[in-house]
Amino acid sequence: MRLTRRQIAAGAVAVAVPAKAATLTVRDVLERMHGQIGTPWFERGVDRIIAGDPETPVTGIATTMMGTFDAFKAAAAAKCNLVITHEPTFWSHQDTITQLQDDPLYKVKLAYMKAHNLVSFHFHDHWHAKLPVDGIHQGMADRMGWSLPAPYDRHIDLLPTTLGGLAREFQRKLGDRTLRVVGDPELPVKRIAVSWGNCSLLPGAPYLNSDCDALVIGEEQDWDLIAYAQDLVTAGRKKGLIVLGHILSEQWGMEYAATWLRGFVTEVPVRFVPLVEPYWNLKKPVFEINTRVLP
Amino acid sequence: MSTAQELIQRVTSHIGASDTGVATVGDAAQEVTGIAVMSQATLQGLQQAATAKANLVFSYDPVFWTGGDEINRLETDALFLEKRDFIQAHKMVVVTLRDKLRDARSDLIATGMAKALGWQAENPNLFRRPRTSLLGLTKELGAKLNDKTMRVVGDPAIAVATIATSFGNTSQATGIAALNGPADVLVCGYTREWEVVEYAQDMLSAGLKKGLVLLGENASVQPAMAYCAEWIRGFVSEVPVTAIALPEPYWNP
Repeated sequence: MRLTRRQIAAGAVAVAVPAKAATLTVRDVLERMHGQIGTPWFERGVDRIIAGDPETPVTGIATTMMGTFDAFKAAAAAKCNLVITHEPTFWSHQDTITQLQDDPLYKVKLAYMKAHNLVSFHFHDHWHAKLPVDGIHQGMADRMGWSLPAPYDRHIDLLPTTLGGLAREFQRKLGDRTLRVVGDPELPVKRIAVSWGNCSLLPGAPYLNSDCDALVIGEEQDWDLIAYAQDLVTAGRKKGLIVLGHILSEQWGMEYAATWLRGFVTEVPVRFVPLVEPYWNLKKPVFEINTRVLP
Repeated sequence: MSTAQELIQRVTSHIGASDTGVATVGDAAQEVTGIAVMSQATLQGLQQAATAKANLVFSYDPVFWTGGDEINRLETDALFLEKRDFIQAHKMVVVTLRDKLRDARSDLIATGMAKALGWQAENPNLFRRPRTSLLGLTKELGAKLNDKTMRVVGDPAIAVATIATSFGNTSQATGIAALNGPADVLVCGYTREWEVVEYAQDMLSAGLKKGLVLLGENASVQPAMAYCAEWIRGFVSEVPVTAIALPEPYWNP
């Protein structure tokens, strides 16, 4: 059975609201998340508290794509001390800090988080594993204005456009200055595959060869899937590849995480912190910093 | 006439590396008509090699898009078969040099890139240049490396005089160390967005005036491989050695 998001949210509210106002801790929020994700909570993977104490009383929740220093500053300014990040806080997928003990930036960032009583929770694997549909996929589809087919797969049917037209649409809807494209700008496109975030040769090559005109990804090394896409084009296949950048390819999935959390956390505000694009390029040398929390 | 095996041995011995473990596709007993040197053995690169009548290809990056054992999972992939058949039909031997060059002769890459940029290195990976802005530096890199789609982290207006380089892929530890060194900016080929790019952003957020430039693999390696071609000509005279220039893989809307 496919539940609508409204049904999921309604069900969540019914079980989640406590009888009387008590101090809501980080642990309480995480336990509610365990019950709402739609799949058994698992210990493998990277999802855990990266910094801070699970007994910390929560004043507000911020969701964001990556635990950047900017994101923590924005969260603190909005009085949200539980920061739920899709990507790491300390610059590696595992948030490994053994080599960083003397790193000056690690010390500064950690001290800031302690001074503002911030707790960072890495919410990667479970948000992708969310049932009935990957939370990132749902949030990105919402942002792009797509309705997802059921059963969910990674293909989307679009109104007929071109590879260049589709790239400009992503640029506009995601605020993506530096996205890069492989393939003919005039290539007709009406069905795409999407693999948000990092996408290697596998599963990228089978996606490109599937019944689609173009594949859209976040990030990959040039000699991996990117070179494969180049070779497909050289070999005469009518295919395209759009590389959005990692943050911009996933972050609206974390806006959906805020919506989802509001369904079962009602005691404190839940805000989404959209990150600015990390890069500029020669065509658009515009520098932005200082993320703002969405109202 | 020399075989591919003989020439591969000669090149690896000049690199100062063992010829065992050199990733090679094709029949090494093949007689060589010419050598082509390139950054990435793309299908387009191999076609250009064939046009140049070169059947021994030295590439920085691997021919089948992966450094790992995933190749076994590609054996039913039509493009894999097409590329493999092209290599066989042209009696080609394709050699990936990335690991050997990195381990034993990273100076060749650094020297080749310095030469292409016209910069004098203080040490192989550090340059002191006349003061400019980060935007000024990226314009110079764009013009000299024919790179339109590079991506840059940092304020375009910051002053830049000391430049650290790490061409090709840059690991988390290497990138963090370089950004904490004396350089105003680190110029690399690629580094992961959730590692060194995030670190560089956090440095900016902490008020540090640093920059990070991601050139892309081809722009960050191709001039070095052109220099390698010149270097190979110093000890291979029986066949022509051609440096293949590949176009930028991307465009920006």
